[in-house]
Amino acid sequence: MTCCHGWPARLAMTIALLAFTGPLAAQDSITVVSNGGSIADAQRTAFVVPFTKATGIRVVEDVFNQELAKIRTQVETKNIQWDVVSVTAINEATGCDEGLLEPVDWSRYLDAKQFEGVGGFGKCGVPHNFVSGGLAYDGDKIKDPPKSWADFWDVKKYPGKRGLLYRAEQTLEVALMADGVEPKDVMTILSGPGGVDRAFKKLAEIKPYVHWWKSGDESMQILLSGDVTMTYAWNGRVAAANKANNRNLKIAFAPGHVSGSQIYAIMKGTPKKELAIKYITFAAQPEPQAAFARAISYAPANEAAYKFMTDAEKATLPQGYLDRGSLQSGPVYFNFWLDKGDEVLQRFIKFAAQ
Amino acid sequence: MSRSTTGTSIAALVRKAELRRERRLLAIAAPAITFVLVFFVLPIGLFLFRSVDNPEVHGSLPRTLTALHQWDRTTLPDEQAFAALVADLRALRGKPELAMLARRLNYDVSGFRSVIIRSGRLAEQGLPPYRKWLIANEPAWGDVTYWGAIRNEASPLTDFYLLAAFDLRRLSNGSIAPASNENALFRDLFARTFWISFTVTVLCLIVGFPVAAVIAHARPKVANLLLILVLLPFWSSLLVRATAWIVLLQDEGLINQALIALGLIARPIRLVFNRIGLTIAMTHVLLPFMILPLYSVLRGIPQGQMRAAASLGAKPVIAFLRVYLPQALPGIVAGSTLVFVISLGYYVAPALVGGPRDQMIGYFVAYFTNSTVNWGMASALGTLLLVIVALIYAALARTIGLERLRAQ
Amino acid sequence: MGSGRIFRVSLNAFVALVFVFLVTPMFVIVPLSFTSVSVLIYPLPGLSLRWYWDFFNNPLWTQAIRNSLLLGVTVSLLATALGTAAALGLTASRSRFKPLIFALLVSPLVVPVVITAVAAFYFFSALGIAGSFAGLVLGHTILATPFVIVTVSATMQGFDRNLIRAAASLGAPPLIVLQRVIAPLVWPGLMSGALFAFAISFDELVMALFLASPELRTLPRQIFSGVSESISPTIAAAAVVLVAVSTGLMLAVELLRRRAEGLTAQASTS
Repeated sequence: MTCCHGWPARLAMTIALLAFTGPLAAQDSITVVSNGGSIADAQRTAFVVPFTKATGIRVVEDVFNQELAKIRTQVETKNIQWDVVSVTAINEATGCDEGLLEPVDWSRYLDAKQFEGVGGFGKCGVPHNFVSGGLAYDGDKIKDPPKSWADFWDVKKYPGKRGLLYRAEQTLEVALMADGVEPKDVMTILSGPGGVDRAFKKLAEIKPYVHWWKSGDESMQILLSGDVTMTYAWNGRVAAANKANNRNLKIAFAPGHVSGSQIYAIMKGTPKKELAIKYITFAAQPEPQAAFARAISYAPANEAAYKFMTDAEKATLPQGYLDRGSLQSGPVYFNFWLDKGDEVLQRFIKFAAQ
Repeated sequence: MSRSTTGTSIAALVRKAELRRERRLLAIAAPAITFVLVFFVLPIGLFLFRSVDNPEVHGSLPRTLTALHQWDRTTLPDEQAFAALVADLRALRGKPELAMLARRLNYDVSGFRSVIIRSGRLAEQGLPPYRKWLIANEPAWGDVTYWGAIRNEASPLTDFYLLAAFDLRRLSNGSIAPASNENALFRDLFARTFWISFTVTVLCLIVGFPVAAVIAHARPKVANLLLILVLLPFWSSLLVRATAWIVLLQDEGLINQALIALGLIARPIRLVFNRIGLTIAMTHVLLPFMILPLYSVLRGIPQGQMRAAASLGAKPVIAFLRVYLPQALPGIVAGSTLVFVISLGYYVAPALVGGPRDQMIGYFVAYFTNSTVNWGMASALGTLLLVIVALIYAALARTIGLERLRAQ
Repeated sequence: MGSGRIFRVSLNAFVALVFVFLVTPMFVIVPLSFTSVSVLIYPLPGLSLRWYWDFFNNPLWTQAIRNSLLLGVTVSLLATALGTAAALGLTASRSRFKPLIFALLVSPLVVPVVITAVAAFYFFSALGIAGSFAGLVLGHTILATPFVIVTVSATMQGFDRNLIRAAASLGAPPLIVLQRVIAPLVWPGLMSGALFAFAISFDELVMALFLASPELRTLPRQIFSGVSESISPTIAAAAVVLVAVSTGLMLAVELLRRRAEGLTAQASTS
């Protein structure tokens, strides 16, 4: 009932705002920062170029690797070079808490309901896409697809090496799923007593067969070359690898996936706050969202965007499997990884090094 | 020393002129000296200081610390401490210092972060008696461990980071204990860094000594050419060489192809992103640092000596061990020290060519700086590395000094 | 002595192998940068210049090249000015503090680069210049100046002070002495130092990893990002360019250095 109540007005207001200030903003520019690579390319085609066309505001793009230190340095020295940053949910929560990002009441500009499925707005940011990590394998080489993470752990049924992310976060969740925990309970169990120990114990079983990958590219390289039989991988990378190499890699979400949003947030203290809000709200609209999802093969954050996508495009997207995911949002997730993250990561590094 | 009739000696005039000259020369060199002091020595000093710097607790919880001054560290603190804590938390409301305090205390006790953040939000509504109210709303405050951590970090200087670098920590009663076994990775890390550096040094020595000897005793034109060949890879950046090795050693690379073509192996073996690849790449990069010092020392050993020893009836091996090697020793020591110390501090090579089992100290200094933004930990590890390097060079200087004395 | 011959032959063979080990990796990369496919494997399916075309036209790379060149020239000027002055002052000095000051000036060579870089990062962050061009210039100058000092000092070793006294005794004012006697002898050493400083800055990676903002990407920094993800032939092309430039520079440095030492030696014996 309260759903779509104000959204036409909001949408109209946003577009009017953009159209009206467009010509006046001919000389303005903002800097938008992302993780680079294919994400930056998709961002350019889906958000940056249309935004500049609609508003006349120039967008300078930049790259970083989620190093909060770089954000902190700029804010603390009041030497703000960036305006909009694309951060992980954890970095948005941390950055917001520590006063590095601008708190904004996004419900003034956008309909909160459309973003509920991916975890909703942050105090400082708006999700702009939804990344899922799932079980990837070569569709041409494996005819009997794995149905669970326990299958991933089963080296007798599926001989060969496995790929796992060289990070505690996401890998421990996957380990628990292999140990029989339902995806929606994973964070509760992990943050509960003995959860971390249980996950490490499970990882130890498969450790001799693991190739730890450090980058999205590497995860695809090892699967394409046949170095590993199966790997944990991010869905957008799988689609991109298929496109570039004309292969038939598949990603399964039914066994359980770990998903979270990338969030656009504004650097605290930037003089271009209003322009930044304009950009972010533009990127959150259904059509740009669909364009981004199409370009990068990650899911849109705005549910209304699915209307604009074809079935073929939705093939590597977890639409329909959202309940099979361990979501990277919510207090249980944030508190666990913010509190225990460093300690668990240190334990993981030691574990992987032995 | 004659004195002229005016009373000033010639010696004094000469001395004055000398002083003036020295001052002028110093002035010429002064810009560089100031530059090094301001932009090198000072930052490193600050860096070393950061490994003991502890501003968060003592800056954000002043009242609490005063109240905890007489605390016995074994039973829960009294109402006064709780009241002080609430007052401090209220003063921190909305400030970034609250989150930084939360993060800092989280290093001491895992989970402290959310306790602080939650308590920060709660503090507004607190009413006396604070002790009862706070424990009821945030049970962690009923645990001595948390208060103990605050008390441990009371001083503006701390040994927390340095202890952690040795896999030690302080318990809530203040005593030192080993860190939990699963997280204790720094001693292993240092051991690993030393071992890798040692392996690379030995390899460089075995491979580099014959090369240095051949160059040292070759005809000048040949020696010149060979030296350029040694310097050639030395002149190109480490990055390019590491890249070249990744390409050579990868599964589809030339080495594996050659081995398969020769029939020595059936399927490619993993030669890169592990210890093997790292050792090969580092040896390749550091070899010139072994060859050059060795060469300059070996050049001074007269060829005739070995022949003389042979003519006196000594077998070649004995001649080598008794005549050649002792004179080559300074070069061996210099080259080995150089290679060892440089590889200790390596960061790029392990990051590119090594695997998860091969990360060295330098990598963690960078990791704590960028990824987790734990500058205290980064500084502690860096300080230890610096101290080790300094000790080794000091030992080298001492040995060279002793050598000189003995030569006299 | 048959065993002596065998020993000699095997020694030479071993040394030859080591030289192959030393030199080939570099040459492996060069042909690969001309490959026609997007993976780096031998044998090459075909040759193509497209990766070089990509390298010289892709704004990502051209900006990196521009940054590296600008940075290198600035660092070279600054380091050469500081370093040459220091070398001149120190080599002429007879003070008992000379070894100490020399050790201080050369100390950046001894400290692991990652520590210098992180320390500079913290310090410059406090000053507000981390990520700026000035910060990176200063960072590279710290690393380059010791090399300039060592290079110029080495060429000054053979310098005969009597030349200056002779010129003065012939009636030449100090400025002329500087211009006509000192400068020509110092010049090659100075040029050598300047090129060395440029090469150091051009190749430098670790400082750039900490001190460079994304707009200030240098060539090595860009290559490093590429190598960490996946090595494409464009990376290989970039690496070849980097190597060609640094090797060319260092060769020039070496030749100039020898000439400089020859000159000062000549001047003092003639």
